[in-house]
Amino acid sequence: MYQSKWRIFTNHTILILGALFMIMPVWIAFASSTHTREFIFQNGLQFWPGGHMIENYGAILFDPAATKGRVTALEMLFNSMVLGLGFAIGKVIISMMAAYAIVYFRFKLAVPLFWVIFSTLLLPLEVRIVPSYEVVANLGLLNSYTGLILPLIASATGTFFFRQFYRSVPDELLEAARLDGAGPVRFFIDILVPLSVTMIAAIFIIMFVVGWNQYLWPLLMTTDDQLYTIVIGIKQVYNSLYEGGQIPQFPKAFALTIMATIPPVLVVVIFQRMFIKGLVETEK
Amino acid sequence: MATVTLNQAEKTYPNGYKAIHGIDLAIKDGEFTVLVGPSGCGKSTLLRMIAGLESISAGEISIDDKVVNKVAPADRDIAMVFQNYALYPHMNNFDNMAYGLRNRGYSKTDIESKVREAARILQLEDHLERKPRQLSGGQRQRVAMGRAIVRQPKVFLFDEPLSNLDAKLRVDMRLEIKNLQQRLGITSVYVTHDQVEAMTLADRLIVMNGGVAEQIGTPIDIYEKPATKFVAGFIGSPAMNFLTAKVSDDCKHVIVGDGVMLDIDHDVAGGQAVTAGIRPEHLSLANNGDGHINAVVRMVESLGAETLVYLDFGSGADNVTLRLQGTHQFTKNDALSLTVQADKIHLFDIETGKRI
Amino acid sequence: MKRVQFEHSAVPYLFVAPQILIISIFFLWPAAQAVYQSFLLEDAFGMSSQFVWFRNFEDVLSSASWSRSAIFTVIFSVAVAVISITISLFLAVRADEVIRGAKSYRTLLMWGYAVAPPVAGLLGNMMFNPLMGDLYKAFNSFGFEFNHIQNANDAAFVVILIAVWKQVSVNFIFFLSGLQGIPKSVQEAATLDCKSAERRFWTITFPLLAPTTFFLLVINLTYAFFETFGIIDVSTKGAPGGATATLVYKVYVDGFIGADLGGSSAQSVLLMIMVSILTVFQFRFIERKVHY
Repeated sequence: MYQSKWRIFTNHTILILGALFMIMPVWIAFASSTHTREFIFQNGLQFWPGGHMIENYGAILFDPAATKGRVTALEMLFNSMVLGLGFAIGKVIISMMAAYAIVYFRFKLAVPLFWVIFSTLLLPLEVRIVPSYEVVANLGLLNSYTGLILPLIASATGTFFFRQFYRSVPDELLEAARLDGAGPVRFFIDILVPLSVTMIAAIFIIMFVVGWNQYLWPLLMTTDDQLYTIVIGIKQVYNSLYEGGQIPQFPKAFALTIMATIPPVLVVVIFQRMFIKGLVETEK
Repeated sequence: MATVTLNQAEKTYPNGYKAIHGIDLAIKDGEFTVLVGPSGCGKSTLLRMIAGLESISAGEISIDDKVVNKVAPADRDIAMVFQNYALYPHMNNFDNMAYGLRNRGYSKTDIESKVREAARILQLEDHLERKPRQLSGGQRQRVAMGRAIVRQPKVFLFDEPLSNLDAKLRVDMRLEIKNLQQRLGITSVYVTHDQVEAMTLADRLIVMNGGVAEQIGTPIDIYEKPATKFVAGFIGSPAMNFLTAKVSDDCKHVIVGDGVMLDIDHDVAGGQAVTAGIRPEHLSLANNGDGHINAVVRMVESLGAETLVYLDFGSGADNVTLRLQGTHQFTKNDALSLTVQADKIHLFDIETGKRI
Repeated sequence: MKRVQFEHSAVPYLFVAPQILIISIFFLWPAAQAVYQSFLLEDAFGMSSQFVWFRNFEDVLSSASWSRSAIFTVIFSVAVAVISITISLFLAVRADEVIRGAKSYRTLLMWGYAVAPPVAGLLGNMMFNPLMGDLYKAFNSFGFEFNHIQNANDAAFVVILIAVWKQVSVNFIFFLSGLQGIPKSVQEAATLDCKSAERRFWTITFPLLAPTTFFLLVINLTYAFFETFGIIDVSTKGAPGGATATLVYKVYVDGFIGADLGGSSAQSVLLMIMVSILTVFQFRFIERKVHY
């Protein structure tokens, strides 16, 4: 395609500026996290990295005191991983099955159940937060992984995604399978699921990121800091930054921030193609 | 009206692939030139280089004696008809045709009259308010041509415009295009992989293969005197028969198949191995069965107006096509006696494929 | 709807059961509670409740803080949607055109989705920190008296900026995908018909992107409404004085922190009505009708 030299130049300039706009805050946080707190306190945010990266990161990863609590960043990363994976796995399995039931079967409750699932789009978690908390508390699930993950799965997004995908699968496949003697469960396991692998991967990645990045819900229902995810950990550290009259632990706080961000960003960047495919398909 | 000249034009892609190797071409004013060749031969690339949609790596392209290598496509005063029409889906047909004129600052009345005139020529007057998606393939192609015509450019470029149409429509549109071009007299460059289209439309033909122009000439010239084995095999349908042959010691015959001797009149050395080419329509049944070729029928295809007979006359000549007028009742394993005139035998160098 | 389906089987019930079960316990029941509580008023000690019909709703709708929150939410959502769509469209068009480094640019611009809202809020807070934030210093050095702790407009600016920063990636991905859906030959034909790239964009590309743009508008509004809780909670916390509290944030503040169950439940119900309208709108005009 023909492009004038000027156009090519402005294109690159704009794109570089855009990339810088996105990266700057994260880079500054990272650079600042590699200095001592005295240095940051005196000189403000830093653009160039300092020499204390191992020291700072090591401290928060392994020393509970560094995060003003009883839990290390390593443990928090573990919690985040559990939440992310648990949420993604749970979501994928449950919505796949529900979508299969709705698309491939003619049964009495199909329509009403579909609308029940649809209704979850109308009242996002933030808006029903108080009663949700009460329900979980009543079930004794506060401060547990189950209580952390299960309520988040109660939404329609994954189901709609698979529903759309299943509707695009050719009918002939089912007909051929039936002639081959496959019943509904057989068909699902032997044919539909293998066919859905790329879709499953795409949605898994998105859900992992969503789970990892959960904020409000873990904030409310985990008071036991052993259960803190790294995202929550950041908040706690920031809250206590100015306590005790000491020089604020900015570098360590920034280090936590970086550690909370790297895993999901890496996942999204490495699996870019799948992620984008999942995103574009979900919302369409 | 303009001339288009290519001077050692080359195209190499960033990954190193050389798509066009040094092509020289001089298209006269008002001439209809066709670039023809198999997929991947570079014909579309060359066309797009003339348009400015692909940059040129070396050499020069000139329109009306002005070098346009660095000129933007919109400034070259050319118009193009794309294979899949490339109409603007969100505009109606009138606006599709008017768009180029609007951008060039023509007055409203000017635009109105030019578009209506083009619509009249192409019989699109009733469809101007509609959108492209409401039209059939053939109609869309006409809108695409209308878009090109209204600009009255110096050069028309066509990139396989008929490939997406069904067979009957292709034949009709082919004639329309030819008529249109003759009427308007605008220099045209047309790309196709269909050699029938090429032969019928072209004032001059360029047969391309692997980024190289194997032959440039009028259709008849190319048909009668193909410069290479490739051109010989590409032009003409059914394709020319190629037989492995050896020149006899006295240089007056070639030996094909099982010792079949054919008279030749070429300048060759005795004993030389060559490829002999004979077009299916140049083989004929011998009177009284005294022809030099004894062939065995393997298969017959009756097309009504003509018959294609697939024959075998020995090794290196076991897949020969014969084309006869009318209907003939041959069956498998029938023996036929054939002749061919010496001046209808083409000889090609076995290694280079060049005409001898 | 599939034309071939299984019938007479217990399988669908089994397959759909887990999701329905979870939804019932963790969605339907709390949602019902929220609606129920919106009709109740607790006494000062939280000991007993009274059924007060729509009084909570009246109180909420007439309260100044709710109105301010609602206005802010609208302004915030529209600003975030318009600004981030504009920026990402601008970037996507260029990203679609470049040949060298196309993949790298895409990678550098698409990862914003993976950043948690609270992390985004933190980064913003950091950049605007009065002690050491670069942007804080930068703005003040240009003679603006920038104080987002006390000045409501400045605070709004910060929150909008953060939300835009995060959302640019998502919009970018969709626009890029939309641009790649425009046939190359149509773009080439436009190159022949129109020399100016600007003009080509507005007359050809932008109209063809209209469906994507429209769709993103709805998505962005929804995002600004509901997914910015983390950003606000970690940056301005709705300060100064509730000026940057979106309606969602206010539900949390009033309900969880202020323990005003009736009031915050009423707000929840109102929000639910608003979401329903947005969702219906989205499905009706963007996806074809949601038919079973």
